[in-house]
This record gives sequence, structure tokens and C-alpha cells, in this order.
Amino acid sequence: MSVFEVTDLSIAYDATEDADGATPRLDGISLRLDAGRIYDLTGPSGAGKSMLLRACAQLMTIKGGSLTLDGVDSSTFSYQEWRRHVCLVPQHASLIRGTIRDNLLLPWTLKVNRGTQVPPDDELRELLQAAQLDVPLDRDAAKLSGGQAARVALLRAFATKPRVLLLDEVDAALDDASAQAVGELTVQIVGRDATCLRIRHRPPDGKASSTFHLEGGHLTVLGMRSDMAPREMEPTDPVEASTPRDAAQPSGGEA
Amino acid sequence: MEGGVIDIGYVELFAASALMLIAGIVSWRLSLGQEKNIAISTVRAFVQLLAMGFLLVYLFRYQSWWLVLLVLFLMALCATQIAVSRVKQGVRGLHLPVFASLMASSMVIAFIVVEGVIQPDPWYSARQLVPIAGMALGNTMSATAVAIDRLFSDMDSRSDEMFTLVALGATPREAAFPSIKAAVGAGILPTLATMCAAGIVQIPGMMSGQILAGADPVVAAKYQIVVLLMMSAATTLAIVLICFLTFRKRFSKEGFYLDAGIR
Repeated sequence: MSVFEVTDLSIAYDATEDADGATPRLDGISLRLDAGRIYDLTGPSGAGKSMLLRACAQLMTIKGGSLTLDGVDSSTFSYQEWRRHVCLVPQHASLIRGTIRDNLLLPWTLKVNRGTQVPPDDELRELLQAAQLDVPLDRDAAKLSGGQAARVALLRAFATKPRVLLLDEVDAALDDASAQAVGELTVQIVGRDATCLRIRHRPPDGKASSTFHLEGGHLTVLGMRSDMAPREMEPTDPVEASTPRDAAQPSGGEA
Repeated sequence: MEGGVIDIGYVELFAASALMLIAGIVSWRLSLGQEKNIAISTVRAFVQLLAMGFLLVYLFRYQSWWLVLLVLFLMALCATQIAVSRVKQGVRGLHLPVFASLMASSMVIAFIVVEGVIQPDPWYSARQLVPIAGMALGNTMSATAVAIDRLFSDMDSRSDEMFTLVALGATPREAAFPSIKAAVGAGILPTLATMCAAGIVQIPGMMSGQILAGADPVVAAKYQIVVLLMMSAATTLAIVLICFLTFRKRFSKEGFYLDAGIR
């Protein structure tokens, strides 16, 4: 079952240029994310990977194309509701002043989560444990190390149980063991209903069912685990893979 | 009232501008390059204040409600222009919100003070309305410019945090709120500090003026107290209004923050 679909998305990002002087442009990008799957997004730096993730969360002005969640078009959501379900965790997610608990419960201070159950301490502790964070909930967030802070920021998004998780190099600041733990936790949070698209620069951890590659404004599907997607792919043809039908292939099923 | 005002002759007045030589000489000796600025500021102070004086003489003589209101309106326009030009952060489209918040704070509070506390006859008496509204405007004008600068620089320094908040589903208002709090807090402090120092360190400008003009010092003190309270209320109101009217200028229509890289 496809949870999240991007069809013919285009973004013009004219206001500024990347550090290397190239203006990333995305045109006609299509992809489909299925329930219970994790996808990796790779590509050279400056190709617009972060931009694509931002566009998926509507954290960037979109020029054309459509986004759907469970088949429902993004225009029927308010921007806040959309982001509550399609949650981006940026590379430099920052923590607010206060304790770890304050940070994990930050989403419940927002209007968009009003009326939803605030997770009890036990649930928060379980999350911390699963991410191999052995720190009390009352610990001042400012006293955490970089890797610990990155995990708390990630858990904060996990705690809201979004349908689509967009992770932008969230394991970049972590040592191998914690990166592994974060990977396991991602699998657990995604479960059977949610889905996840990750930008990673670490070697593949075997959690992703397939990998999208973004280069020169085109999205291709590099490969997939054979046990998850039985179909043959033509990973090198950007034109083919950037059309919606072909991009949908790695998920291994027709809608 | 006793004593009355001792007028200053025009010869003495122009002689007093020799005082600006001190600033001029300092600027010249230290190569500050401010000589032109000093000359312009001196001439402007002369021309503007004397013009205001003559205008008020005319206004007091021929005052009518619409003329007084017109003068107040023009004063608010000028205050808007000055406040906007003082903002260092490049924010566009500030004139309307600044004008609206100056009118809604200074003018409303000045009218409440004049009509409620001083109660002149007629109600549009320029002798009370113009100086009181002018003092309120002058203060709120500076406070507004400072608050806008503070608000936008604080939001810039919190751009990562705001991005995270917006990504979690925060509205622009929820994301900007800590910055609005900081800007309002910082804007209220100077007025409170002035109130604490009033009467100990200095006799505030208005009270000094009234005493020099021969008024009973206790009457002058009462006026000064009312004016200080008025300024505190007016600046607070102006800052809160301007923050809420402008913070959204740095957010896109989709509700994400336009940080320095993408605006």
C-alpha cells in the first residue's frame, strides 16, 4: 500500500545558490513510498537531496506537481497538519532550552497536536532506551553531547508517530553503535503503517528496501533488496525512472 | 504661577550654537568625519523646532478640531518615516504596520491621558494634545524601531530552532513566539529604567521645561508622573502591536521561515 506519493514535482530554487555555486533544480520528480518500508536517498552534494525532503514536507515553495498522503492530496491539509503527518527531521535539529522531557514533549505544546494524548514518562523512557540513550528525562538538554542531542531531536519526531518520516542525515553525528540503534528504532517506529525516506552518508545498514539516487535533477532507483522487491529495474535511465510509473516500481506493487 | 518665562533673545540663541563647536572640534581632531553631520543636525534642530514653535503659535490662535487632528496625523506620518528608516534589518513593507501601531498606541493613549486626566476645554486644545501626543510618539517611535530590529535579529539567530518547530507542525506564530517575547521584554525595560531614575538622577525633560517656564514644581511633577505612566503604556502597546503585525513578513505563505539564504 502506498502511503506517500510525489508526482511530477518541480521546484525552482532561484533565491540562492549552493556553496559550490550551482543552483539545484528539481523538475518532474516522482516517487512512491509504501507502508512499512524504509528508503534511502543518495546523490552528490548539491544535487538537492535536502531540498527534495523539504519539498515533501512543504517546507519549500513548490512550483508544480502534487503530493498525496494515503491518496489524499496535500491541498486538503493545512500546512501544519501536513507536517504533523509528513515529518522532516533536519540535519541540524535544534533542541529548545529545558530538560529532555521538555524537548520530547515540545510537539504537544503546538496547536496541531491539541487534543491528542501526551505520551507518559514510561513511553518516553522506552524511546530513550531504544535509542541507547541512558539519560534521565530531567537532564538539562544543554548538557547533552552532540550525538545525544541529535538522538533526542530524532526521538522528538518519532514520539509524534508521523505517517511519513523524512530524515536528513540524522545519524551523521553518531558513532556506529548509536547509528545502528537509531536504524533499529527507525524500523520499529515505521512499523507496518508508516514509511521513511532517509538521506544517509553512512554505508548501507540493510534497513532500506530500496535506494533513490538524485543527480542532475533526476531521480533514479539504484537498487533494492531482492527479498523486498521482486521486479527488475533499470537503475541507470533517469528519464524512465523519473516518470511516476517507473519510480513507483521499487515499491514492488501497483496501486 | 510665579516668575514667568525669561525669553531668550535671537542673538543669544545663535550664540548658543557655538556650543556645537565642541562637537565639531572633537570630530575634526579625531578625524571622525562627522563635521557635515554635526552642521546638518544643528541646522535641522534650529529650523524644525522654531518651525514647530511658530506652527503652535498659529495653531493655538486658530485651533479647530480638524486642524489639530491633521497636525497629529502628520506628526504620526513623520514618526513612521523616522522609525522605519532607523530599522537596520532589511525588512520591506514596514510603513503601514508601523503607522498603525504608532496610531493605535501613542494617539489612543495620549487621547486617554488628555481627555481623561487633564480634561482641557475645548477637548481638542492643541496646547495639551500636541505636546503630549508628541512625547508619546517620540518614545514609541524609538521603541518600535528597536523592537523590530530585535525581533528580526532574534528570529534570524533562532532560524534552526524555528525550522525544527515548523517541521513539527508549528504555525509561524508558534515558531516566532519566543522571539516576540524577547523583543517585547527588551522594549519595555528602558521605559521602566527611566521611571526608576526619574527625580533622583535627573529631572525629566518635560518637568524641567515646565519649571523653567515658571510652573509650580509640584504641578510639574504631577504632569511628569502622568507622562511617564503614559509612555510606559504607549511603548508597551506599540511594541506588542508592531511585533504581531510584522513577524509574519519573514515567513513564506506555506508558513516556513525565510532564513538569510532564501529571502
